[in-house]
Amino acid sequence: MIKLIRRNLLRNKRRTFLTMASLAMALFILSLLGVVNDAMNFADESAIPDRLVVRNAISLTFPLPEAYEQRLRTIDNVVAVTPQNWFQGVYKDQRPENFFPRFTIDPETFRSVFYDLEWTEEEWEAFAEQRTAFAAGRELTEIQGWSLGDTITIKGDIFPIDVELQLRAIYDFDEPGQERQIFFHRRYVEEAMGNPGQNGTYWLLLDDPAAAPAVIAAAEAMFENSDNQVRAETAEAFAASFTEMLGNIQFFFSMIGLAIVISIFLITANTMAMAARERTTEVSVLRTLGFRRNQVLGMVIGESLAVGVLGSALGLGFTAVAIQGATPFLEQMGFGFGGFALDSQVLVTAVVIGIAVGLLSGVFPAVAAARLKIVDGLRRL
Amino acid sequence: MIPIKYTYRNLFERRGVAFMTLASIGFVVLVYIGVLALAGGLRAAFADTGDPSVVIVMRDGTRAEMESSYAQESHRLLTTMPGVERTADGAVMASGETVTIQIFNRVDGTETNVMVRGVEPGAFGIRPGFEITEGRVFEPGRGEIIVGRSLAGRLGLRVGDERELGRNTFRVVGLFTGVGAHGSEIWGDYRDLGDSFRRSGYYSSTRLQAASPAAARDLIETVKADQRLQVQALTEPEYYELQSETSSGQFIILGNVLAVLMAIGACFAAANTMYAQVAARAREIGTLRALGFKRRSIMGSFFLEAVLLGVVAGGFGALLSLPLNAIQTGTMNQVTFSEITFQLRTTPFALFSGIFLATVTGVLGGLLPAFGASRQKITDLLREA
Repeated sequence: MIKLIRRNLLRNKRRTFLTMASLAMALFILSLLGVVNDAMNFADESAIPDRLVVRNAISLTFPLPEAYEQRLRTIDNVVAVTPQNWFQGVYKDQRPENFFPRFTIDPETFRSVFYDLEWTEEEWEAFAEQRTAFAAGRELTEIQGWSLGDTITIKGDIFPIDVELQLRAIYDFDEPGQERQIFFHRRYVEEAMGNPGQNGTYWLLLDDPAAAPAVIAAAEAMFENSDNQVRAETAEAFAASFTEMLGNIQFFFSMIGLAIVISIFLITANTMAMAARERTTEVSVLRTLGFRRNQVLGMVIGESLAVGVLGSALGLGFTAVAIQGATPFLEQMGFGFGGFALDSQVLVTAVVIGIAVGLLSGVFPAVAAARLKIVDGLRRL
Repeated sequence: MIPIKYTYRNLFERRGVAFMTLASIGFVVLVYIGVLALAGGLRAAFADTGDPSVVIVMRDGTRAEMESSYAQESHRLLTTMPGVERTADGAVMASGETVTIQIFNRVDGTETNVMVRGVEPGAFGIRPGFEITEGRVFEPGRGEIIVGRSLAGRLGLRVGDERELGRNTFRVVGLFTGVGAHGSEIWGDYRDLGDSFRRSGYYSSTRLQAASPAAARDLIETVKADQRLQVQALTEPEYYELQSETSSGQFIILGNVLAVLMAIGACFAAANTMYAQVAARAREIGTLRALGFKRRSIMGSFFLEAVLLGVVAGGFGALLSLPLNAIQTGTMNQVTFSEITFQLRTTPFALFSGIFLATVTGVLGGLLPAFGASRQKITDLLREA
């Protein structure tokens, strides 16, 4: 039986190859879309639910007073508070490859909240001591070719100042996307701006993730009647709000994926139908020799299933290889920062689709072949 | 020459197989046109904005209006520049505006940033396309706002609704359209909004009307040469060009990459179908050859069949994509990080590109099978039967 399937697959090598190739191509595109879609999802799935973000209730473009930091610290279950500000600015030019997040932070409290970045103590000390120092993720330093001691200039846009910074520390983090940013001292910017005493966001560390709803309510209530009302949310919700801003784009991606699946289904079903029709006589001969309907059914389905499995494997193998090469390209296009990886969800979806297409496209021709009356099949010569 | 009739009759004769191939190529075309329509719609949203005779001035070094901020003195200085047009009754055709961003919820509950623009009375004079579609324009000092019509749909805002903007509550008194990307914004009086957002006395941008695009260039030079100002000046289309490119560029690249990859897959499918056609018609080909048709004619005929298949599939895909046109949607403007609403546009260019893609697929997919058909020996062909 297996031998028959194999023989059948090999007897028209060109057709088998063309079908598998189109199936592989479709799955390649499908999984690539999945990867890009994942990268556009800013939500940090690894986010530990023990961190909250507090920002101005109007929007991120409005800052909060410096004094809020102390007040937030007084809320129950809050272990530590640290400010973080989006500096933006321009490094070298506007090209996407030179765009990476730039934050200003307070070294005194930073690590008490962002405890999961890994540093060597000496480097951290060197960074903390020097007002004009900056710290960068390892991956970014590799991309930009920076080494410790190098000096860079960031031209300000939101803040009308240019900052000159010296690389003093390199940190590691296990999420690749998070290694693509730099941190420098908020004091530096504050002084250059004439000490306006402001911060964009405050990050809170809780001793118990279960306390998050209570802390959120307390933080919002605390500033309810002040000039700057705040909005508090978990770090995860904060990240998700950026994905939400992209709107329906992800929906369009899903629609594209659906069209591709329909398209490959048609292609494979078409080929299987051709393959089965060609063999009408043969099927009848097999039946005359004593093969049962079920066996004929299994043979045709087995054949299309084999095409599905092999095609999927080919396409996904291609994706796995291509991601390495395509990453810089995808980044240039502006689809998120790093984090391009073929995760298990995309992988499983693609394999299931590949196999399902293989199975379904074999069903109709298989049933037709099995139903065929022996006499009709032989007559059709 | 084999009559063309033979070609299309063949496709019709084997319509089951031909239709499957046609549909699969058609879906490829649909995806391609869909992505192009997305990019085209985004582009159009920006392209309809701005007049090459209008100069927009922002603080030096900023990319977007909401990043920019400068004091009233600079704005006053700008409005006195030579080359700024005046209305019939002598008023300067200029508008100082303040742009901020506030979080809103869309109808579907998701969150987005919305641009809120405080404008002076001059704002309408320099935007002749501005049109109120419902209600009326806001009156200064009364806490009123107007909302871009397409944005109002996305946010579920209606005339009469009240919303907090900054510290104060504002009432929606009208919906507007006709000003391109501004249709994704909320407008109110400069002073009302400045007060509510505590931006009084500051401007994000100043728009100056010049007599012509050439005069606008001169005006830009004048502004840049003024030592008292630390600003940058560019025409409105230049300003929106950056947002357009940054926001739509990735979709155009994505569309093309997808199209090429999918077309390769579809080529395999087309080749498969044509090979099957050739194999199924062995006896026919032999007969044609025996009747005296040249190899070249046979090849031409099969090739034509493949091309025809491609063209028809392209038309089919284009037809499928037509309902996409004018679908209202929105995404994030990647320069201002705020909502930009737009309509998908299946432009003639997009439709044509789709059909072209399908034709190329047919050509590439049909080349080898057609060649193969013409190479076979008559004796073999007839014997196979």
